[in-house]
Parts: sequence; structure tokens; C-alpha cells
Amino acid sequence: MSESPHITGWGVASALGVGRDRFCAALLRGESGIATVRRFDTSPFTTHVGAMVAGYESDDRDPALLSHEFGMLALCDALAHARLELEALRSMRAALTLGASLFGDHTTERLAHNLAKELRISGPAITVSTACTSSTQAIGFGADLIREGFADVVLAGGIDVLTPALFAGFHALGVLSKRPCTPFGRQMGTTLGEGAGFVVIERGGLRDAVTHARLRGYGLSGDAYHETSPEPRGRGVAAAIRGALDDAGASEAEIGYFNAHGTGTVANDTAEWCAVQSVFGSDLGGSLPLSSSKGHLGHAQSAAGVLEVISTLECMRAGLAPTTAGFEEARPGGPPRPVGSKQPKPLVYELALSSNSAFGGSNCALVFGKAKPATASNGDRRRVFVSGAAALCAGVSCIEELASIYAAESPPSEGDLQVDLAAELPRVDLRGIDRASELLTTVVSRALADAGVQLKGKTRARTGLIAGVLRASPDSLYRFHTSLERRGLAKPDTTAFAQVLPSAAQGACAKALNIRGPQSTVTIGEGSGLMAAVMSAWMLAHRRDSDHMIAAAVDVRSERSPEGALADAACALVLCTEPTAVEVAGIGLAGPEQLDEAIAEARRRCGSSEPVELFVERRNPFGGMPATSSSFALAHALGALRRGKAKSAIVASTGTTASVAMILTSTEVAHDD
Amino acid sequence: MTTDLSDYVSSRVAVLDGVRRMLRDAMKLRIEPESIDPDVPLFGTGLGMDSVDAVELVVQLDAVFGLTLAGSPWVSAKLRTVNTIVDAIMELGDEP
Amino acid sequence: MSLEDEYRSVRHGAALSRMDHVGIVRVSGGDATEAVDAICSGDLWVRDGRMLQTLILGEQGQPVADVYVCPDDDACILMFEGITTEALSACLAQYADPELAIELEDLRPAYELISVNGPYAWEALSKWLTPDVIGLPYLSFYHFDRGTCFRGGKTGEYGYDLAIRSDQVGRAWEALLEHVSALGGGEVSLETLDLCALENGFFSVRHASAEGLTPLELQLQWRVSARKSFPGATAIEERRAKGMARRLTHFVAREGVKTGDPIRDADGPVGQVTAAAFSPGIGGVAGMALLDLSVAHPGIDAFFVPTPNADRPIRTVSSPLLFNRSLLIDPHQHTYATRDQTSDPPLWLGSLP
Repeated sequence: MSESPHITGWGVASALGVGRDRFCAALLRGESGIATVRRFDTSPFTTHVGAMVAGYESDDRDPALLSHEFGMLALCDALAHARLELEALRSMRAALTLGASLFGDHTTERLAHNLAKELRISGPAITVSTACTSSTQAIGFGADLIREGFADVVLAGGIDVLTPALFAGFHALGVLSKRPCTPFGRQMGTTLGEGAGFVVIERGGLRDAVTHARLRGYGLSGDAYHETSPEPRGRGVAAAIRGALDDAGASEAEIGYFNAHGTGTVANDTAEWCAVQSVFGSDLGGSLPLSSSKGHLGHAQSAAGVLEVISTLECMRAGLAPTTAGFEEARPGGPPRPVGSKQPKPLVYELALSSNSAFGGSNCALVFGKAKPATASNGDRRRVFVSGAAALCAGVSCIEELASIYAAESPPSEGDLQVDLAAELPRVDLRGIDRASELLTTVVSRALADAGVQLKGKTRARTGLIAGVLRASPDSLYRFHTSLERRGLAKPDTTAFAQVLPSAAQGACAKALNIRGPQSTVTIGEGSGLMAAVMSAWMLAHRRDSDHMIAAAVDVRSERSPEGALADAACALVLCTEPTAVEVAGIGLAGPEQLDEAIAEARRRCGSSEPVELFVERRNPFGGMPATSSSFALAHALGALRRGKAKSAIVASTGTTASVAMILTSTEVAHDD
Repeated sequence: MTTDLSDYVSSRVAVLDGVRRMLRDAMKLRIEPESIDPDVPLFGTGLGMDSVDAVELVVQLDAVFGLTLAGSPWVSAKLRTVNTIVDAIMELGDEP
Repeated sequence: MSLEDEYRSVRHGAALSRMDHVGIVRVSGGDATEAVDAICSGDLWVRDGRMLQTLILGEQGQPVADVYVCPDDDACILMFEGITTEALSACLAQYADPELAIELEDLRPAYELISVNGPYAWEALSKWLTPDVIGLPYLSFYHFDRGTCFRGGKTGEYGYDLAIRSDQVGRAWEALLEHVSALGGGEVSLETLDLCALENGFFSVRHASAEGLTPLELQLQWRVSARKSFPGATAIEERRAKGMARRLTHFVAREGVKTGDPIRDADGPVGQVTAAAFSPGIGGVAGMALLDLSVAHPGIDAFFVPTPNADRPIRTVSSPLLFNRSLLIDPHQHTYATRDQTSDPPLWLGSLP
């Protein structure tokens, strides 16, 4: 494993200002960017405050346009800070990892595509859509791209725009505070925000750059608890923090400052404080400088994590502890003494931890700072194997049926896909489950059965799930948007709102099956399922917090959106570190128009000079299933290798923002006939 | 049974059945109306609804039965069991 | 304390009680959930750290145990009333697949159960344990250094059942008693807890006196799975097919109504009282009766309990009977010391017949 990636710059477009000069000045003065919302009419609501990007307070253009603009502002700011000219960037192996959760009729990868195109980054762009942990995860995965050698420089961050629909959803859930939020303080509730932030992370020694900090490690987990509420004792948060410390090779005592998710809601702040005490102990946890940046920035959703990392980096440079703007008096059940001065106070620390949590029970923590690891991190890479798979679409109920479809190159049968999840999973509460969640849960449960994995006891915390998903389930999106139209902004369907993010299906599946290891929802457009498999393989290869990773994908037919899938489909593969008959032998990753490069890279990493026997076409015959088709190809390859039809297979796919290739090989010793 | 009593019971049963159907259809409880006991708790235990469901339930009670609870004091007293909802809806009819 | 003081502890302060009538076991092993699922009537929708209320039924479909199932990593903790640990063990042996890998450990006498109930119970706990206990949702539990804290309770108020290591329980009791005393409460007997359970419509397996009752009559269908097989399932199916004749319904009366009394209307018998007790909160009798299904509804004034001197009228009501103080109290905002009861509604919003 290579050394920790270097953080060489960052940039922001936020409520505290656009550009890091203004941002930093306002932050160090202890200012808050929260004000009365002017972009849209808040009269249907009982609260009227929000944290809009400075200068865009009244800008009510299409959120997709605003997202792009915020993104470009932050990206250019970050490149300037890193002293990286666009020309130089284009000559480097550069990649983009973006946290974004646009909900509505847009497919999320479009934003990353447009940003990469405008910057003319030729490498892969990966979008992480896990609501409020999106950008936190994007930074972690950005580090993976560098550590795995797929990029030399990564622009990692997130973007979000505060829309009336989002405001309406949170308002209806009753979690918005009347006045600007004061995390850990007597007032309960959060304030929504928006913005964009990016960090430049790169391999050291590439160029003459200033290293402001190292990105030491990250951790992921799932609560498997509730759509919108955190696990009350913070077990999931604690697991992500422990994962990050382990990845960073750092001890609890080395953490000098903790940037909490600290939304200000009763449920979040109490659960998070339980997690801090359980990881750091009540003594260390009680004295650990801890604060939340949301009093300054509001809750910027998909951009929250990166903006909080940047706040911490700025303060760390200045020898200050970020403060909790607006905090006056501690609330019962929360941290008794969070950092809550009017302005940041002096504090010297070399290593910081930033934690975020999201709807669907997603948690992510990052460890970063000037301190180098005391010992070399993690050690050897582990080999990764495939232990099971399941495929599901009309006419396909197991992976063996894929062979004839690929052989005949004929699409699977027409008609509706029927599943009876209640019969398959008698001990699971399926009330309110939407179509994407139902299909994903079915296929993941079957893949686990195929792999012989029983999710019991400790196995649950050491099993993870990465889903390739382009958009939220159309039935939930439809329910939410029609409820807004028919009932007004004050009365949206809250049960649908809890499921309108792309990660909802992954969260619901994790909850139903009790999967609590590392989890994420990603997209590159077409080929997202294969991307999920690649990231799952990395999780197992270089981390120690999981034994099984489920790489899944789901598409749900959308009659109302021209960009949506044409058919219901879901597929899952179980990857593991315990040797099985099939090994993940090589991975290739490249930009969207570079499929051949991705394939060549996978072959190079495979290290075998023998020709690959089976090449699985990327789309055919599963058209109109953008997330799932490449997972079907993988499952088909697995079936062929298991049946001895081939000794090696390559699956490749090119999507809107990246090309991916994966080589599977049989580990069975060949017998001469 | 007196006429008054049988009138009362049939009007109560009509409201009760309406609430049960609403719980199945709008609240997606995956349960048949006749399996919903009148005194079953709504939240936490019993039907096991949560705070997210509570918001939608209040909207549905307004839309289907004209029962406006949002903003009124002591809402929690009216949203405890199916029967307490039925009581609140029947009190609406008593008002002039 | 007098019964009235005890009642005030539970309804207005915080009450400390011994829970010797509750059994507690730990079923461990890889198949613990499957084994527990095999004997319980309800859908076992398992999530670690949450508690699920369910029943164990006899072959006739009658409840024999009132059970909390608490999935805990590799194991399931069961807290139960109505049967002994030996009977529970026998039930597992009879109904769970013998191939399942399980071990049953009686947590007594290593642990003892005590409970704290009342609108300010959380305040006692947050002082004795840690302040973050106030974030624990209803029907959740977690372990701490001296035992396990279960948030449940059957009084309609904030309720915590504590399984405390026996060597610590003496000190814990003393400390908690001091805390609850400072919150306007004290030690409270099972009799008072049972009265509070009755007022709030909680099922009590120890008081299910009438014979031949299934969860259908007891309004406990939510604790019966429509998706799986369990002991008593056949009897329930048969009862459903045949249709039930009676249903448990709550009532209030001014005085003189007791368990076992017949209930009539002008034309003749309509049911029987299954439980009744004087409720200080209501200022009259709170009770439950089995009534003919056609009239098993709240809001009826036409029934009475005949006595040699005079007919005692009853009024059927919805469950729960009381507007519990706990519903008005937010542990993040309120404290016992700063309480202001002047604007509170009365405990009982109804009127007596």
C-alpha cells in the first residue's frame, strides 16, 4: 500500500462566502451564514431560515444549473489553492469523486459528467449518493483511487442546492429549528444549507505542491435501523469512527479534534455523543475538543462533509479549534462541553476526525491531518474472491438462466417481474418498502444464500453493501412529488420523502437484512453495478473492517421519466476474502471514452499473459437496465467459470462518467483430460 | 338493543372501518382491516408506526375524515389507539 | 407508602419497584432467533437493541406468557411474565427444532430486575446512569457496566426495567430510591403497577381470568403473525373462521364494580367484568369486560352491573383511559424541579356514568 494521499488544496462555495479567502475570514470571525430564506416562499412553513450560498440567496434557477455553478466555483477555487493549472491537470491522471444526491427526475451522474467535461478531466468520475454522507464518502473513495493507483490527483467533494421540496420534506419531519440551529445547545432542530466544496488530493512527490495535510483514512458503516433516525446508541457511528481510525493507523488518543455531524436534532446529537463516548471512553471523550460546523454553514446535505473537512483544515492551519456557532448552553444528554466560544479558540492538533451520518443509516468518518502514521498502515493487500450471486428480472430468477440469454443474444422475456419478498423473508418488516428496495433486498438475500453467508451475530457488522443505483425508486419519487403538488409544501408525504434519495434502496436493504458493514450507493451511469463491484473489491483488498462485500445494482422501470430504466432488474454478487472457485484477478478503471484503456489496465493488473477466454459484452442483451446490465455480465461470467466453461472472463462496461473492467479467473487447478 | 344504541354502534363501526381501511391503504401497513383491533396502540408497539408515519397519519386524518389535529393542543391524547382516533372523528359529528 | 402515594409516584413523579414476577433468560447460539421465533406468536422483526412485545400461546390459543424479545448480537434476551423459566425451557424443547444450536441461560440469580416508572423516571435514570439515557427510544435497550437498561414499562409513563448484577443491586436500589424520592416518588408495589397497567389498557397475563380467550378476544391480534406457524396457531385459525363472540372492552364506573361481575343491559346479559379496580386518577372504577362483539365498543352508557340494592351503571371507554403526564414531558426540555402543572389537562378527560 502506498502512503497516505496528500491534501494540497481546497475550494468552497458556501453560505460563509464563495472562495476560500472569504470563507476562511468569516469562519475565523465566528460568523454564521444562516439567514432568512429569500430564494423561495417559506410562508407554508413554520421556520424561515436557511444557509444559502453567498450571492445566490435569491437565485431560483434550476437546481441542476445551480449545482453545476456551485461545483465549478468550488473546483476552480480548489485548483487555484493547490496551484494546479487546468493545463497541468489535463496532463495528469486525474479523477473526480462527487457527492451529490439530486433528487427528482434527474439522474445523478449527469452533474459529474458535466463538471468533468468542463474541466476536461479525462479520467473516471464517480458519483456517491448517500445523502448527508455523500461528500464525506467521496473524499474517502478519492483516497482509494490514489492508493489503488488509478489516479494521481483526485478532485473530491460534494454539491447540494437547497430547494423548496427538500425544505418541505425536512420541515414535515419536524426536524427544522425555528431560529438558526445551535447544535448541542438548548434549541432542538437543524437548519438546512447548501453549497459546494472540493479538496485536491494527490499522490505525493508528483509535482512541487504544498502538502497541507494527509488524508489518513476513512470508515463506513450502516445502522440497519431506520430510514430517517439514527441508531439511538450511535453504534453505527462508532463503527465508522473505528473503521476510520483503523484505516488511518491512528489511536483514539492521537485525535486532537473531532468535527461532529452535529445537526442539532435531538436524535442525531444524542446518538453521536453516545458513539464518541463508546469509542473514546468517557474520560477521553469528555475532554476531546468537539464541535459542529452547522451553526456556520447550516446542514449542506451532500456538501456537508466536505465543507466541514475544509472548515477543520482551515482552523487546523491557523492553530484554532472550529467552534459551534450559536452554541450557548449544553442540552441534557449531549456533550456537556462542546467547543462553543464566539470565535475559534487556539488549539494545536495534528490529527482530526470528521464524522457524518445520513438518512438510510449511512455513516462515514475521515481521519486527516499533518501527523504521519507512526507505523506503516495496514500491510498486505488481501486477495478477493466471488462466493455467490443472484440475478433478477422478468424471465430470469437465477444466474444459470443468464447463459442461454447471452448465448442467444436475445433479451429476456417481456412481462412484469413478480417477487414475493414476504414469503422469502418471513422475519422482516416490509411495511412501506418501495419497489427498488424490494428488488434489491430480494436479490441481495438470494446472493447471500448462494454464497452460503448467514447474516447472524458478528457477520452482520463485517458484511458490507455497495449498490450501483442511478436514481431513487420511481414509485417513491412519484408519491413524494404528487403529494407536494396536491397537498402543498406544508404537507408532503413524509414516508415517501424518506425514500427519495438514490441510497434509500441500499439503506432499506441493509435494514431488512441487518447488514452493518461498510456501505455506499454509487453511480457512473451505465455500468454502475460493475463500479460497485470494483469498489467492493477495494474495500476487501485494502481494509480490515469487512469479510464480505455485496456488490449490487437495481433498476426500476420508470414510465414517467425519459431518462429512467426500461425494465425492473436487480443483481448482486458476494465478494469475500476466503478463497473460493473464482477470484477477482484484475481491475481496470478509466474515463468514459476509454473502455480499451480500462480493459488494458485490468489485463495488466491481472498479471497473466494468458488470453482471457470469455469476453462478456457490456450492454447486450440487457438494454434499458443501466445500473444492472453490467452486474448481469459479472454474474454470467461467474456462472461460466463455476461450470468450467472458461478459466477466465473479462467484463467491461463504459458509462456516462467512467469505463470499468474486471477480470475473473477460476482458481480450480486445471486437470488434463 | 335499543334503537339509539344500535344506531350508535353502526355509526361507530362505520367510522372504525373507515379508519382501518385508511391505515391499510394510506399508511401501507400491509395488514387486513379486520385484523386491526380497535384498542391497538398506534405507535411504538401495536401497529408499530413511527414519527415519520405520524406526520402522514395527521395529513390523512384531515384529508379523509376532516379531522384537523395539526397545531391543536393535546394531539397526543387523540393519537394513541385506533379507538381514540374514532372517538375524535365521532366528536366532530357532535359539533354543531 | 399508601396506595394513593404509590399511585402519585407512578403518575406524577418516579416510582421504584422490584420485578420479581418477571423472568429473564438469555438464549444464545447461532440459531437463537429461529428458536425464539418458533415459540412466539408474533412476527419476530428482529433488530439488535430493540425490544419486541409478543406472546407464547397454549395449544388452545390462550396466552400463557407475555414476552419481550430483545435481540442482542448472537443472542436473544427474553423477559417474560406468566410462566416459569422451567416452563419456557420446556416450551423451547417442545416447539423449536431440536437441530437448532441454542443455549438457554437463566439470568437469575446472577441478575435482578428492578424498574423505574413515571413521567420523571428518565430523570432518575439520567442521574444514576448517564444523561444520554434520555435518548433511548421506547422498546430499546442497551448494556452498561452493571447490567442492562430496557426501556419498556406497562404503565403508560416513561418506564425502565433494569437487569442489575446481583452484587450491585443493593447499592443500585439505595441510590435509585434516593433519586426517585427527590422526584416526588418512592417504592411502589406490584399492585399499583398492575392498576396503572389496567388504566392504560396493557394486557396482563397474570390477570387474564376468563377461560378460552385468545388474542382475538383480547385485542392482541397485532401480536399474532399472519405469516408463520406457532404454538396455538391452529386454534386461532379455527376461532377466526368461526368468528369471535366477545371482545375485551374497557369501562369506567362510579363504584362497587368488581372482577367477575355480570354486565347487563335492559334486555339481558351482555358480558362480564374481567378486571376492575379503583382508580385515583379517574376517581372511580377502571375496568375491563368481555362484551358481546356487537356491543364491544367505547362510548356506550346502556350497560350496568346488577346488585341486590341498585344497578351500578358503567360506561365503555377507549383505551388508554388516561392522558399520561409522560406525553407532555420532553426530557430534553423539562425537569421535575421546574415543572408547572397549572396548564396541564386532567389525567382523565372523560366523565363517569
